Amino acid sequence: MKKKKAPDFVTVELRDGSEVNNEEVMLFKMNGVSYLACAPQSQPDEEGREIVLCRRQKRSVNVDELPVGKFPDGGMFWQQLPCGEEQDAVFAEFCRRYEQEAQEKRRKELKAAEYLKLNRWQRFVYKLKAFFCAIPRWFVALFKKIGRFFKNLGLKIADNAVDLWRTFRYGSWSTRVSFLVMGFGNFAHGQWLRGLLFLLMQGAFITYMVLSGAHWLSLFGTLGKVATVEVYDEVLDITIVQHVDNSFKILLYGILTIFFIFAFAYTWRLNVKQCRICDEITRSGKKVKSAKDDLKSIVDDQFHKTLLSLPVFGIVMFTILPIIFMILVAFTNYDYLHDGYNNLFTWVGLENFNSILTFGSGLSVAFGEILAWTLIWAFFATFSNYFLGMFVAMMINKKGIKIKKFWRTILVMTIAIPQFISLLYVSNLFADNGVVNAYLIRWHIIDSPIHFWTDGTLAKIMVLAVNIWVGIPYLMLITTGILMNIPDDLYESSKIDGANGFQQFAKITLPYMLFVTGPYLLNSFISNINNFNVIYLLSEGGPARPDWGQVGGYIAGDTTILITWLFGITTGAEANYKMASVIGILIFVVVSVLSLIVFTIMPSNRREDDFS
Amino acid sequence: MTEQETSQQILDFDVDFNAAAANVEIDPPDPNFTQTEQTEFRKRFVDVPRPVSRLVGQRVTNRIANTVIYIVLSIMCIVWLLPFFGIVFESFRCESTGLEGYIFPKKWGFDNYVRLFTDPTSNFLRWFGNTLAMGLITSVVQTAFQLAVSYALSRNRFKGRKFLMNMMLVFGMFPGFLTLILLYTLLSDWNLTMTNAPWGLILIYIASSGMGYYIAKGFFDTISHSLDEAARVDGATQMQIFFKIILPLSKPIVIYTILMGFMAPWGDFVMATFMANNTNNGYNVAAGLQWLLTDSMINDYYTTFCAGGVLVAIPITILFMLLQKYYVAGVTGGAVKG
Amino acid sequence: MATVKLTNVKKVYGKNVVAVQNFNLEIADKEFIVFVGPSGCGKSTTLRMIAGLEDITDGTVEINGKVVNDLQPKDRNIAMVFQNYALYPHLTVFENMAFALRLLRVPQEMTNESTGKTTYVYSKLSQDEIYKRVTEAAEILGISDLLLRRPRELSGGQRQRVAIGRAMVRDSQVFLMDEPLSNLDAKLRNQMRAEIILLRKKIDTTFIYVTHDQTEAMTLGDRIVIMKDGFIQQVGTPTEVFDMPANLFVAEFIGAPKMNTVPATLVRNGDGYSVEVFGVTLPVEGDKGDQLLQKGVESQSITLGVRPEHMTLTNRNNPYAIPCTLQVNEMMGSELHLHVLAADGTPLIVRVPTVQLTAQQVSSLVAGVRIYVTFQSKVMHFFGSESQLNLLAEQSKEANAASEPQQEQTDEAAKGTASQQWYHN
Repeated sequence: MKKKKAPDFVTVELRDGSEVNNEEVMLFKMNGVSYLACAPQSQPDEEGREIVLCRRQKRSVNVDELPVGKFPDGGMFWQQLPCGEEQDAVFAEFCRRYEQEAQEKRRKELKAAEYLKLNRWQRFVYKLKAFFCAIPRWFVALFKKIGRFFKNLGLKIADNAVDLWRTFRYGSWSTRVSFLVMGFGNFAHGQWLRGLLFLLMQGAFITYMVLSGAHWLSLFGTLGKVATVEVYDEVLDITIVQHVDNSFKILLYGILTIFFIFAFAYTWRLNVKQCRICDEITRSGKKVKSAKDDLKSIVDDQFHKTLLSLPVFGIVMFTILPIIFMILVAFTNYDYLHDGYNNLFTWVGLENFNSILTFGSGLSVAFGEILAWTLIWAFFATFSNYFLGMFVAMMINKKGIKIKKFWRTILVMTIAIPQFISLLYVSNLFADNGVVNAYLIRWHIIDSPIHFWTDGTLAKIMVLAVNIWVGIPYLMLITTGILMNIPDDLYESSKIDGANGFQQFAKITLPYMLFVTGPYLLNSFISNINNFNVIYLLSEGGPARPDWGQVGGYIAGDTTILITWLFGITTGAEANYKMASVIGILIFVVVSVLSLIVFTIMPSNRREDDFS
Repeated sequence: MTEQETSQQILDFDVDFNAAAANVEIDPPDPNFTQTEQTEFRKRFVDVPRPVSRLVGQRVTNRIANTVIYIVLSIMCIVWLLPFFGIVFESFRCESTGLEGYIFPKKWGFDNYVRLFTDPTSNFLRWFGNTLAMGLITSVVQTAFQLAVSYALSRNRFKGRKFLMNMMLVFGMFPGFLTLILLYTLLSDWNLTMTNAPWGLILIYIASSGMGYYIAKGFFDTISHSLDEAARVDGATQMQIFFKIILPLSKPIVIYTILMGFMAPWGDFVMATFMANNTNNGYNVAAGLQWLLTDSMINDYYTTFCAGGVLVAIPITILFMLLQKYYVAGVTGGAVKG
Repeated sequence: MATVKLTNVKKVYGKNVVAVQNFNLEIADKEFIVFVGPSGCGKSTTLRMIAGLEDITDGTVEINGKVVNDLQPKDRNIAMVFQNYALYPHLTVFENMAFALRLLRVPQEMTNESTGKTTYVYSKLSQDEIYKRVTEAAEILGISDLLLRRPRELSGGQRQRVAIGRAMVRDSQVFLMDEPLSNLDAKLRNQMRAEIILLRKKIDTTFIYVTHDQTEAMTLGDRIVIMKDGFIQQVGTPTEVFDMPANLFVAEFIGAPKMNTVPATLVRNGDGYSVEVFGVTLPVEGDKGDQLLQKGVESQSITLGVRPEHMTLTNRNNPYAIPCTLQVNEMMGSELHLHVLAADGTPLIVRVPTVQLTAQQVSSLVAGVRIYVTFQSKVMHFFGSESQLNLLAEQSKEANAASEPQQEQTDEAAKGTASQQWYHN
């Protein structure tokens, strides 16, 4: 049953945080000895750079001390372990690839020499070109990743099947019975607690399926057939309208049932596996874990499961299942006309997506403009806050500025006050009949009120401006801490090299900040895409644009972003849940694509296991 | 001893140091080894006369820069504080209750505050009570949940950990409002909306609180693993490690989590408005006060809103300023960790 | 109090990264054993396997004759000092030291008289008992004044002492130390090293000490275990590893500055041997020659090893003089470290005691001068140029395993794991 194995590749993480991927480092075997080989570009270029093999276990290897041999052109390999088989073919393949990579490296070095001679603008152009040239490669990598995922999935399923068959074939009789009666094997081995749990679970599942699960599943394909029937009541001598199916409930409980089925399948698999392990242990003459051990492990080696159980249950029930429900709603015609109760809703396929994404249709114009504004808004909201906040922090941090604490405290205080109070007040401050207009008229600066919230362009500028007002204190707080972490000697050394204040900012402060706060910037961009509060409380998405038409009784406006649009559609007079779901999914797509791109471009900086 | 001596003499060396020194021959240095030359670079680019910037001039520019910064910061403080003074002033206005074109009241008084508590429409006490209860319960349970999840994900490498984290990441990318309608329907089945909305909201807050594990996890990641190991060698169970070692070390992040949990209900008006569904009794302060500003109410209740805002802002601000240190630790850590 | 025995211990991380293997070692009662090697050689991993902090992939670890593979750290009756001390920052020194004692539950046998059943009742240590043990340990370590402070208020040396004290109070069978001195500065390290030697006399128990510093290993250990890439290279007393390194790696690792190794040719003329190096033929006489003869070593190309301190300066008239050019002269006070280049460009280091030279000679030793070095046959080490093994050393099992992995055994092991894989997955 030996699988043919591809060459063993390993991933190696370098101490400095960069990762050498599968292709660059490999574990190969030759003449019974395994070697960990390192391709040219992943070699240590500085002294004492350490690599960590297999980052989970914190096994660190100092590369300087390891090499036992050299490849013809100087690449290093080192002996790691002896092993069974000869794999000269693997070695040949490695050498071929090695040579290829060596050539690649030489080419890159040439390029690097060219690049170093370019001036600033040429470099910018060069980088831009490189960026766009890399795009196809990302896609290839992405598809490869997807392909690998499915391949692994297939392999996993096959492995499981083989394992099940073997367990049945070689297992003890109690294990075989456990295929039918869950927990039987555990009982047979004296693990009454586990056995009981398994048995209870099986009982509960079967009962649920018989009593209601099967019913929901059978209707899941159509989401109900009959909404209401008229029943003649003999006693009262009238016909009563009786509700039969409820699409909403069918969809919800259908999902739940499917979820239960998966959970049950997993439990069943677990049950078989445990019986197998028990068999193994008994066969090797050791004792299986008793119920007492199980109880002890709840607070000891299984403590993480104890900790996770309740929160994860909450997340599954109140976040994951509802989201799956709403995703499925996007493929139905669920709205105020088809409420699932008086009028059933049903599957409509991709119709909803068609109506919003088909070029030129009424809705797609609105969607396009709102999406554009959402991205513009998120971009400006993020970066204006970021740079201005950093600027303020630097002003306060500057040597020679007194009462630093005072300035900070005043700004921080504004974070504490609940946003809805300050934003609602500011919104009214700039209303047509608000304080600002009134003062301006009184001072004869203007004759008629400025329409801060009812003029499209002005409203956009206003929400951005007020957002800066909201965001600066927050960014000031974050950046202050990081700015103070920049080592002073960087500035001192640059001073000796002759840099002035601005050059110090551009060459030291900014790169450092961008590096450290890169992930934060992405996060804040995403949270600005979903920044409901500022838009809704200030302009409520207005001024309305009737030319875009209404969805769900809600007319979107100039400052409407996707999330407020979604909210308006959900809560409007003619609530249109299916479109709301579609928009929700589209927001997800936008956010996830952005994150993917950013994570691909960003140099892989700190990882969670970097520490210790 | 003698044996040694003889063998040493054969190999040309002697215990007698003078003799040893006499044996040592040092030939004069190789001429190739001496090299130092004036570099062309230094002649052309370094040792040339150039004007020198004076420190005095720098000092003057520095003083000007500082003055400019003081001015900018002062203006900022005014701009940032203006709205809050505005709210406070307008809350003391007695002559009218609607929007007016000025900030300073013509007639000062506590009318609006009195009205806040006596007017049956505003129902402020109920809102405040609702929010306080939500804040207290949520902060406790949410903290427990978040710390549990972050600890488990930070300290243990179990099967399915990556899957769990990816799951939370992916589902976290969906906008939260998406599920409003479903949650409302579900909760109204269990009679947890309308008047009981606060309880429904507590359930929602708590149930999804595990998703916000990032910051606490980032903190736990920075605690050295050898502490755990030392405790294990000392005989502690995982639970004892959590409660006796890690939690006491995590005071800042625990307080931060509690603070966040407590403050969230005070600002949440979307969920609160939706779940209460026009039932005055079920509002929290945010939903309630926002309701006072709807078009039909604003003319009668604008100043009442201001008074309510002041009453809400004061305790929250005090609490926040007291625990500011922990808040800063939390957000900075979160931003750097990402 | 306790013996520790490791049999065929193996550690594999993930699927195929092997950290330790073929580890066989018996540690006698009250022995002080030191694991030494470059970082990543598996020494810490081995220690952590003994402690129970890492799973053992294969093989057995026995403490006092009892296999402890499946036992939790707390049940192995061991104490450990960590590299970064791992003091609980929120607890005082006293509480840090008392932590383990407070968690300790002492079983007491209780017999129910009516039924005759025996049950165990677990009881805590009394506060008095804890106080007594902690203060006793603190007394020995001289930290009695610090008991109420917290770790962050202590200096590096004091923290080190607390860490040792925390391990001491448990009075364990085995005392494990994972690079305990590496976080201290050089001066303090020397001082603590001496204190550990003293301490060892007070708490007589089995010590296992991990370090990457060969000086620590030489000064502390009864026996030293030198490791590289997961294999034991040599086990022996400090004298043994210094005088008879099993292979080139050990030779270069032990001793500072490291041993000079140069390619050379060993020539046998009947019963006599000589070494050709840098165009000079040095006769091999005395013990070394006899040993070579005993082993029946033939003429071959070798790697010749000579420690810097065993080289001497001489003049050009000496028939065995090797001419060199001085590159760098490191004046250490009592001695000079001369970095020289031989005629063919091979770098060598020569350590010369200052007293052997006149003041004028010392001052004339500047870069570029030509000097002559030589060495005696009794300080030569011969290593096979292919195998890198010491030609004179008794080939121990470990050294064999390190250089020539036993094909059959590992094959079997590989098969074994492959066949079990489906079941253990």
